[in-house]
Formats: sequence, C-alpha cells, structure tokens
Amino acid sequence: MSKITVENVSYVYSGGTPFEMAALNDVSFEIKENCITGIIGHTGSGKSTLVQMFNGLLRPSSGRILLDGRDIWENPKEISSIRYRVGLVMQYPEYQLFEETVEADIAFGPKNMGLSEDEIAERVRESASFVGLSESDLKKSPFDLSGGQKRRAAIAGIMAMRPEVLVLDEPSAGLDPAGKNTIFDGIKKYAESTGSAVVIVSHSMDDMAKYCEDIIVMSHSRVAMKGKRNEIFCRGDELEEIGLGVPQITLLMRLLCEQGVNISQDIYTVDDAEKALSELFGGAR
Amino acid sequence: MKSVAFGQYYPSNSVMHRLDPRVKIVIGIFYIVASFLCKNVLSFALLTVSALVLILVSKIPVKIVLKSIKAIIFIMIFTAILNIFWTKGPEENLILHWNFINIYVDGIYNAVFIAVRIISMIIGTSIFLTYTTTPIELTDGLERLLYPLTFIKVPVHEFAMMMTIALRFIPTIIEETEKIMSAQKARGADFTNGSLSKRAKALIPVLIPLFVSAFRRAGELATAMTCRCYRGGNGRTRLKVLKTTYRDYLALFFIAVFGAAIVLLNIYAPGYTM
Ligand SMILES: Nc1ncnc2c1ncn2[C@@H]1O[C@H](COP(=O)(O)OP(=O)(O)O)[C@@H](O)[C@H]1O
Ligand SMILES: [Mg+2]
Repeated sequence: MSKITVENVSYVYSGGTPFEMAALNDVSFEIKENCITGIIGHTGSGKSTLVQMFNGLLRPSSGRILLDGRDIWENPKEISSIRYRVGLVMQYPEYQLFEETVEADIAFGPKNMGLSEDEIAERVRESASFVGLSESDLKKSPFDLSGGQKRRAAIAGIMAMRPEVLVLDEPSAGLDPAGKNTIFDGIKKYAESTGSAVVIVSHSMDDMAKYCEDIIVMSHSRVAMKGKRNEIFCRGDELEEIGLGVPQITLLMRLLCEQGVNISQDIYTVDDAEKALSELFGGAR
Repeated sequence: MKSVAFGQYYPSNSVMHRLDPRVKIVIGIFYIVASFLCKNVLSFALLTVSALVLILVSKIPVKIVLKSIKAIIFIMIFTAILNIFWTKGPEENLILHWNFINIYVDGIYNAVFIAVRIISMIIGTSIFLTYTTTPIELTDGLERLLYPLTFIKVPVHEFAMMMTIALRFIPTIIEETEKIMSAQKARGADFTNGSLSKRAKALIPVLIPLFVSAFRRAGELATAMTCRCYRGGNGRTRLKVLKTTYRDYLALFFIAVFGAAIVLLNIYAPGYTM
C-alpha cells in the first residue's frame, strides 16, 4: 500500500560550519500507491529539501526513506537506479533543458537508462502527448519554446523514464491559469495511464484541492498535518495559523453558510461548488 | 558552498573590520614593503610581534590563520632549504662541511628570516585584505584609490563595477550549478564514474544550461540597470560614502611608526645583517 515511507527524517545543510541550517526536523509520513499526494507549505518550510530525498539527491542526516519497504540507501552505489524509479521534476525545471531539439532532450533520461532506440522513441512520443506537446514542437530547439512549453518539455523528460513515483516540485509556479491546467491535466493523465504514485509540491491550496487525494502540510521543517483532502481542509483555522488558509472556493462556501445559506462546507473545487449551487437554486431557474 | 562568495572573509566586529577599506589597502601595501625592509634579528622580531598583534586586534581565530599559512608551507620549506644550502658566507661562519655541501650560519639566518617574512606577509595581507574586508568593500576601496587614474582615461569605475557584479554573481552561479547538476542527476546523469572523457562529456548537460542562463541574466541585469538610468561613473554618487574616522588616522599613524621603527632597527641594531 505504502509506496514511499519517510521515517523520522532530519536534514541539516552545511552541518558543522557556521552556516549550519536545519531544513527538516524528524519528518515521518507515507506516500500511497495509485494516489496523488500533495505536499503544501510556505516558502522555506523544507518542501524542496524533502522531495530531493525521495530519489536520493540528498541523503537524510538521520532517519530513513523506504521505497517499497526497502531503504533506498541500503546500497549507495545503486542510488542511480532509484532515480529512475522515483522521477523528480525540480523547481523551475525549464532551466535544465540543453539538447538541440525538444525530442532529444526528453530522450536524455531514457538514454541514460540504456533503453533501445525504438523504446526511447516510443516513450518520447508518449510523454509528449501527456503534456500536450505537438509533433512539430518536438523538432524545435527547447530555447525557442514559450515558458510554459519549456516547463512541459522538462516534465515530459522525467515522465519518459516512466518512474513508479513521479514527484513534481512546484510544477505550476509562475504559469498562467491555462498553462497550469495543461500541466496538471498532463500529470493526471500520466498517473491514470501508468498507475504511478504522484507527489505534487505546491503552495497553492486551490491546485491541491483540485488534484490531490492525500495532503501533507509542512510548516517550519516539520509535518504540521497529514491526511485525506477533506480531513485537512476542514481544519481551516489551523491552516490559517500556519499561514496557508483554505481554497478560495471553500472560503466562499463558508461565508455563504455564515450568511444563512444552506450549503455544505466541505466543497473544495469549483466544479463541486457549481453542482451544490445549482442544486440549491435549481428550482428558481 | 555559499561561503565561497565571501572568499576568506571572517565576519566579526573588531576594530580591524571597521577600518576604511582604502586605509586597509594602503596599510596592507605598506606592510608588505616594511616586511621587505627588515634586515636583522631585531627588525624581524618586531615584524613577528606585529603579525601576532594583528591577529589579536582583528579577533580572527588562530586556527583560521594557520589554515591560510598551511597553503604555502611547501613553498616556504622549499625556499628555506635552498637558502640553507646555497648561501655562502665568510669562511669563519662555516659550521658544516661534508663533501660538496657547505652550510654557513648565514644560510640558517637567511632561511629563518625569509620564512618569517613570508609568514608575516601572508598574515598581514590576509588580515587587512581578506579576513576583515569583504570583496565588495575591497573593490569599493580600490575604485576610490584609483580614482585619479580616470584623468588619464582609465575606466576605473567600469572595472570596479564589473568586479562587483562578478563577485555578486559568484554565489548565484554556484547555486545554479548545483541545481542543474541535481536536475540532470535526477535524469540519470553520472558525474563521478567512468573515464575522464566520459565525465567531461557528462558536463555538457550542465554547462549549456549554465551559460544560457548566465547570458540571460547578464542581459536582464543590463536592462534593469539601464532602466534605472545607469550610465557609467560620470557624476554618480554613492550610497555608502566611505568615511575615514579617527580610527583610520590612528591606524595610519601606527603603521608609520612601525615602518620607522624597522628602518631604525636596521640602522642601529647589531648582529647578523641579511
Ligand atoms: N543548498 C542549501 N544550502 C543551505 N540552506 C539551504 C539550501 N537549500 C535550502 N536551504 C534552506 O533550507 C530551508 C528549506 O528550504 P527548501 O527546502 O527549499 O524550502 P521550500 O521548498 O519549502 O521553500 C530554507 O530555510 C532554505 O534557506
Ligand atoms: Mg522549494
């Protein structure tokens, strides 16, 4: 059931120097299989540090990360095989593009895995279709793409390795709503068609509410809350204390409720709100 | 890694840290000259004492100072050995004669003197110019000191600005390199295994994005500066105006006395002279 288990993990940057900085403090939780998990927290709460542990880019100062029940650092020499199984899209991944064509760039990961030409071509095509890059985009230089397209190309580069766990660090940061939706839809398509676990890091409550089933809330290097989406969002006051708040639409429903409108409060997406509202006003239409 | 940005700068609040960088540059140069003037036991003793005083006044831990000396220990031993074996003195100073090897007292004196000179020089310059002065302060001080050169059309301000910008972006670029390397590692790039040519090739996915973003950043910075009407040094005033205080004059006074003392000791003190 549990794909990744994080056990009492702590991490200290530049340990033993005057610049020492504790970024994670005794963090424990699980990432479930076949599930989209959201990690949310304000800037500097340790989200990026945390996700870089999932694929072994950073090694916990203490504690363990288990993938399918096995410590990923059991054999440090084989850490690169972990990186193929847990695909990490770093923050602002568009800055990692380097090849002459988008196609070649997406193929970089699969090539490192030592796959056959046919297999690589097949995977490039598939992941490009997930994120909505067209055949002609694939032939372009990555430096000629728009910001949103670059981001999608970079994400496709990780998807092409077909990781069992896809981890994305703030995949929608700095994008317009349309760009955001394309990316999240792509992620959803990947999750559905491969059955992989997906972890999305974000600080937008609205995105989290729309796509994630499980949510982990980070605050000041620790896990502040973890649980199902509705379990988290019904604790609105606590979330506000951490400085995060609830999705805009949930807030709206709550305000309506306070005004005496008879409407459910556990509404987290615009679609659900639309349904509830049209039910409410159904007769009047 | 971020510490690279500050070079060897050691943050503290000593008197030395608060001196005007221009004064520190002048004193630093003066100190090097003085260490070359030393000629006999007494003047070298004074030099040694002055180096110790500098360490105390600047409140830099001895451990850190020793680290910077460790870097040149090999050169020092090498010059010392050369001096011991190659210095020729008068016949009565010969203390060891074996085959073709002749060792004179003079050689031993020279070896010790030169070692003391190199160590003091390193301590002096690193305390004045690196441990207690940030690179940015240093460029600022240099720009002011070299200001007269603008009259013979040397673009002093532009050079200083270039240096400041370069220094400012060192940490940014280091951070960026780390990020890009992580990103490519996440895609299975391997920077540590394989033959040299293989590892060099593995750097391409790092270097290309790094250059692209360095150029992009340079362009953006230039635009941002132009938008704020930057047009070089002409008529430009400063945010942090360097001001000399009584402390700086005192420091200049001390270094003058120190220089005079060394010259006097060279003239009047007895004993072996280099
Ligand atoms: N390479 C690094 N060196 C030192 N400190 C770092 C480094 N990366 C992040 N930090 C620090 O660790 C803390 C957590 O950072 P991060 O994981 O990036 O948070 P988030 O992604 O939630 O914004 C921050 O306080 C940050 O300053
Ligand atoms: Mg982050």
